Order: sequence, then C-alpha cells, then structure tokens
Amino acid sequence: MKIPGVLGAAAVVCGLSGLPSPASAHHSFAAEWDSNKCRDFTGTLTKIDWQNPHPYFYVDIKDPSGKVESWSFQAYSPVTLRRNGTDRQVFLDNVGKEVWVRGCLAKNGKPNAAAAGTLKFSDGVKRQVGQLQD
Amino acid sequence: MNTHRRAWLGLGVAAVLLSCSGSSLSGQTKPPEYAIKVMPPGGPAPRMPDGHPDLSGHWFPNGAGQGVSGRDGVDPAAARTFDPKVTPEEPPVFQAWAAQKIKAMTPTELELSKSSVNCMPRGVPAIWLQNPYTTLMVHKQGLLVQLYEVLNNWRVIHLDGRPLPRDPEPFFHGNSTAHWEKDTLVVESIGFDDRTYIMPNGWFHSDALRVTERYSRPSMNYLIVEITVDDPKVLVKPWKSAPRRWTLGNGEIYEFYCTNNLELEELQKLRAQELEQQKKK
Repeated sequence: MKIPGVLGAAAVVCGLSGLPSPASAHHSFAAEWDSNKCRDFTGTLTKIDWQNPHPYFYVDIKDPSGKVESWSFQAYSPVTLRRNGTDRQVFLDNVGKEVWVRGCLAKNGKPNAAAAGTLKFSDGVKRQVGQLQD
Repeated sequence: MNTHRRAWLGLGVAAVLLSCSGSSLSGQTKPPEYAIKVMPPGGPAPRMPDGHPDLSGHWFPNGAGQGVSGRDGVDPAAARTFDPKVTPEEPPVFQAWAAQKIKAMTPTELELSKSSVNCMPRGVPAIWLQNPYTTLMVHKQGLLVQLYEVLNNWRVIHLDGRPLPRDPEPFFHGNSTAHWEKDTLVVESIGFDDRTYIMPNGWFHSDALRVTERYSRPSMNYLIVEITVDDPKVLVKPWKSAPRRWTLGNGEIYEFYCTNNLELEELQKLRAQELEQQKKK
C-alpha cells in the first residue's frame, strides 16, 4: 500500500501556498530572461561579485561531455538579499563548495549567463535569491 | 487494496488537505499563521515641539516594517502598501496622444525606460509609487530630509512655506514648498526633469507636471503617503493614489550606488537586435 506517498503528494499541493511572497517586481524578469529556458544547474561556486544593482555569482559547471565552463548568475539586489538572510558572507563561506541553482537563460543569447531564482548551498536550505519563481 | 485500507487512505488525505487549508473537521476556518505579519499601529505618533507629528523614521514600503522580498510566510497584507479592495486606485486617464505614445513602446523599450533598469533617479513622485527600498526620514523644525536607500538619493523639503519658483530649474525631485493642514504635511512640487516616469509602465510626464504629496503619521508605526499627479498635457484629469502605508523598521539603511549595471547593457543589446529585425521586415 502506498499511503505515505499519496499523503506526501497531498501535503506538497497544500505546501505550495507557503511559497515565498512575490518579489517586488520593480522590473520585468521576462524582458531580459527567457522563462521557457529555465533549468537546474549543479556545480562549484567560484566567486561572488557583490555589487549594485545586482550581484553575480559564478559557478563552474560540467557539461555532458565533461568540459567545465564558468556560468554567471544574476541575483536580487544586495539590499534585498541581506534582508532575506542571504548576505555576502553566506556566499563567501560557500566558495569552493557545491551549489544547486535554478535559473533561466538570457533572451539575447548571451552564453553561460542566467538569472537565478532559487539556490541551495551545501546546507540544503532552499533560498530565494532572484525574481524567478517556478 | 481492501475496503478498510481505502477508508483509512481517504481519511488520511482528507486530514492533510483540511489541515493545510486551515480548516478543522468541525468546519471552522482558521486563518493561516504567517511568520511575517502586519505591524500593529504601535501607539500614538511622536510629536515635534510645534505639535505636528514627527515624521522621522526608517520607513519600509510594506506593512511589515522589514524586508519581504524572497522570504517565506509573508502575510499578503504585510507585503503591500495598500489593499485595492479596501482603497481602490483608479487608473490614470491619458490624453489620446499620450496613450498612443505609451502603447507604441516595445517591451524592451519599456524596460529600458525604468529607473530600476537604467539607474536614473526615480524622482518624485515615483520614489513613493515604484520603490521597493526604504526611506529614512529626518524631521527637524522647518526641515524634512528624505534619504532614499535606492541609488543613495536624497531630498530636502523646507517647511517654511517658501513660494515655488516662477521658472523652476528641472530637478528629479522637483522644486517643493510645504505647509501643514492640521496633522497632514502637504508638499507641492513643480519643475521636474523630463527623464522621470510616474510609474514603470511608460507613464511619462510633461513640463506641466505638478505633484502633491500628503504625509500623515496616524500612529507610531505607520506613515501614510498620498500622491496627486496633475499633468493636463498628458492626463485628462488629475490622478490620485490610494493612501499608501509605509511601516517603521529598525534595520540598517544600506548603500546602493548603482555602479555595475550589466543588465542595462544586455537590454541595450536586446533592443539593437529588435531594431535589426524590424529593418529586415
């Protein structure tokens, strides 16, 4: 009998109402980023460029052939990140460690660039670090 | 699966769904528990020696008195500055030429016009209408200083009732005069830089723009800001905002010089691609 699985599915459905509140969409995500080209990325965090209006963090990601490429990810503003608990120090403490990111590619075809939505460091906590919410 | 097991499965699913929807088996509805709630009013507003409300404080553009973006468990009522169901805000009514001008903008042009993208000062009144960052206000006798976190902008409003200039120099924050109407500070401004937008939807303004800001502090934790936009060259009639509630917070106001605007470069490239495609058509 698969009761726990069914109950789990029901809990996930209701859990959706507890997602983070919409970010203050002061500019449009869709203008620059392609919400039809979003994917999960896993790799090693190499650098954080903590500047306004948006920090960028860099992740070394292996493609299917094993080649490692550096990707940049745009995040919320530093002020917003500080206020939601993901400050510069959190990124610095995770440089050299594995991260998981959900992000969308740039509309203008810029290579190896994405806008981040959610991010997990090695502690496994899911953090909202950008406008994408899927 | 036998009948007994099916019954337990049905009960289990029902219990999970009921608990997460905030309902109990007795049919009573429990409001959801939010981690970040609406701030209470917090007692009477502080007063200046002249008896007027002291508008000083670190004000957050929401009902929570803290950052809400990207955080879990935020009460929707705490995430906003007003509830459109309670205090509806009429949309602006544009002159036909103005409506056409706005409609002709491509999504990329529209994006490039936003101060959140191009790093131009938001200006008045946009600083109160399209700003997710905080404002630190310092109220002294005869002076209201507004320190806007976004882009490290600031503004000084003199409260001595000085007249507006006849030929104002265009400023992003306009040229202002202020007076009190009972406990409400009324700030009238003219003479705005034509690169500012009222809202991030292409709503531009003319040289005839006149903005009225009405500030009140009904309690310790609440600042109410109401904006009237009078621009007869662009609007059919003046537009009035809902009373927007900002709330008092304790955290730092942070530095925000916009010095690394890669987003603007990317959108400019996107716009160049659009123009190239238009040429080919």
